[in-house]
Amino acid sequence: MAGFADLNLPQGPDKKSLQSLLEAAAHLGYSAVALNHVIDFKEKKQEIVKPVSPLELFPSLPIVQGTSKRIKVLTRLTLVVSDPSHCNLLRSTSANIRLYDIIAVFPKTEKLFHIACTTLDVDLVCINVTEKLPFYFRRPPVNMAVDRGICFELLYAPAIKDSTMRRYTISNAISLMQICKGKNIVISSAAERPLELRGPYDVANLGLLFGLSESEAKAAVSTNCRATILHGETRKSACGVVYTVKKPRKVEEEETPLPACKKVKTQA
Amino acid sequence: MSVLPPLRRLRQAPRHLLVCERGHAGDARSRHAARVRDHAYNCRVSFLIPECGVLPEVLKSTIADVGQYYLVRNLSVHELVAHEFIDAFVKKGSCYALTYNTKIDQDNTAALLPNGKLILSVDKDTYEELGLQGRPSQYSGKKVMRYIVTVDLTDSGFHPDSKKHNRVLWALKEKKPLEFDFLLAWYNPDAEGSTLMSYFSKNQIQALKPKITFSTLRDLECPVLQSNELQGKPDESCSTEELFEWLGAVLNQVSLNNKSSSFLSTYCCPQPNTMVEKAFLCTITGFIIPEKIIQLLEQLWRDEGDQKNSITIFSFCTALQNPCASNHSSSLCLTLRNESHLKRLFNSPEPCFQNDNGAASEAQRSVF
Repeated sequence: MAGFADLNLPQGPDKKSLQSLLEAAAHLGYSAVALNHVIDFKEKKQEIVKPVSPLELFPSLPIVQGTSKRIKVLTRLTLVVSDPSHCNLLRSTSANIRLYDIIAVFPKTEKLFHIACTTLDVDLVCINVTEKLPFYFRRPPVNMAVDRGICFELLYAPAIKDSTMRRYTISNAISLMQICKGKNIVISSAAERPLELRGPYDVANLGLLFGLSESEAKAAVSTNCRATILHGETRKSACGVVYTVKKPRKVEEEETPLPACKKVKTQA
Repeated sequence: MSVLPPLRRLRQAPRHLLVCERGHAGDARSRHAARVRDHAYNCRVSFLIPECGVLPEVLKSTIADVGQYYLVRNLSVHELVAHEFIDAFVKKGSCYALTYNTKIDQDNTAALLPNGKLILSVDKDTYEELGLQGRPSQYSGKKVMRYIVTVDLTDSGFHPDSKKHNRVLWALKEKKPLEFDFLLAWYNPDAEGSTLMSYFSKNQIQALKPKITFSTLRDLECPVLQSNELQGKPDESCSTEELFEWLGAVLNQVSLNNKSSSFLSTYCCPQPNTMVEKAFLCTITGFIIPEKIIQLLEQLWRDEGDQKNSITIFSFCTALQNPCASNHSSSLCLTLRNESHLKRLFNSPEPCFQNDNGAASEAQRSVF
């Protein structure tokens, strides 16, 4: 079994609140968290910025309760897409996107859901829990997503805040379970405050309410999160097998300034 | 797939198994010792003596001598496989080691059993990097995420310069060095040779003593038991399950009066019950080895006298040593009555011992 992970902690501008969120997550027993940066294309044109390295944000990471290791902090980007043209960003080889550890997409229409499951290069597909689903899930795109290793994400913090959202969360989750049979599900919080975080075993029990079996529910907080993180790592490599590491450039000492063409000939 | 089946499951208590045994004083003793030895790692031993206000004299010396255990920080596992360690500690007496601050369902853990078996419970990545042969853990499900590697240190084929030994040493030293904080304890009746403290003086080793607390409980309600009615007869005696729950409540100092002002617990002592004026509760918390528990047990058995003695030993332990049986915590409860007390609580005159062995939550086995 893998360590517990919470893959959705909204990254607000306030550093102190993020620090308290991290400490709460470490205290509850999460070994890894992902700071989520959400891009919504409905608002005016937004640019994808480089992810802030967690080492710069937090000089010292808290230790996970019950172990002697520090909590791992990853970066995640969520794109809220409501138009097919928004997906072009993912297809373009933008350098900034590659720097995020996990990429997620939040489709708003059925066509976009189909595109996200079948063709887009993402790790997570977010399922709407705050309102009634505008479309029904269909088996072909869901099965294709499961084959490609894409996980479906459900949030539980909206359910804590409001009772109508609780109904939508459960009904949307159950309709998803009927189609995907509990495979490749990730349950995460979208907690803005430490009070909205819940312990990993409690979240696994919440999965039981959604219709998952006990092992699937625990996998939703541990094994599937690990699979998602590894899926994101393969994007930085060739076929998931070959990795490249930047070698530090050596400063060359030049005794005589040779013209460029001659330099190449002598080096060859 | 409707939501009704899981809701119905949530309303029920998790599945559990309570195994009870009865026996006489003479032959039952060996079974008790064997049961205690089965649980190699104990973190808490509590016993309850009804009708007793202070610690009995005979137990004072045994409790004072409960032994100490050691916490070693950042100890590499290959040091436990070194032949100096095996010859000095594993082959003489019983050596116990368990990783500290590691969770069995998330991290890698290691344990050394007194019979010389070193057990490593590792996750998939570590197993694939380690290079030692193991088998998948029983609780992994279809996608195996956890493996158990067993190394027998007392095996005759494990002498220095043997292929087995070199392979294990290479895997643990160079291929994938594993380092943990270990809890160590060593029981040696001869008490000669080097101690753990001097052997690991290079690492950060700390000697710790188990914490002992005493308390006297007043006006305690005890359930009435009948030795030949393990299931309990309504209005005559309580069943073993009720006894088990009552014991747990008393040892955790849960109030049994179900006051309307308290929202913590609505548990009451099972009927029929008798009121006992005072009872003595002793709790020992720490890394306690079975040999000490057996010594304690034998002291309690020997203490017959005219004191009405009813002693219950309740120990919690995490069972890593039997990977095929239980990966979850189980509790061992031994209840002894001597004859005079039997006449009060039981209705039969002959001495009788009850051995309750509870294993918690089979349903949770697949998950935790």
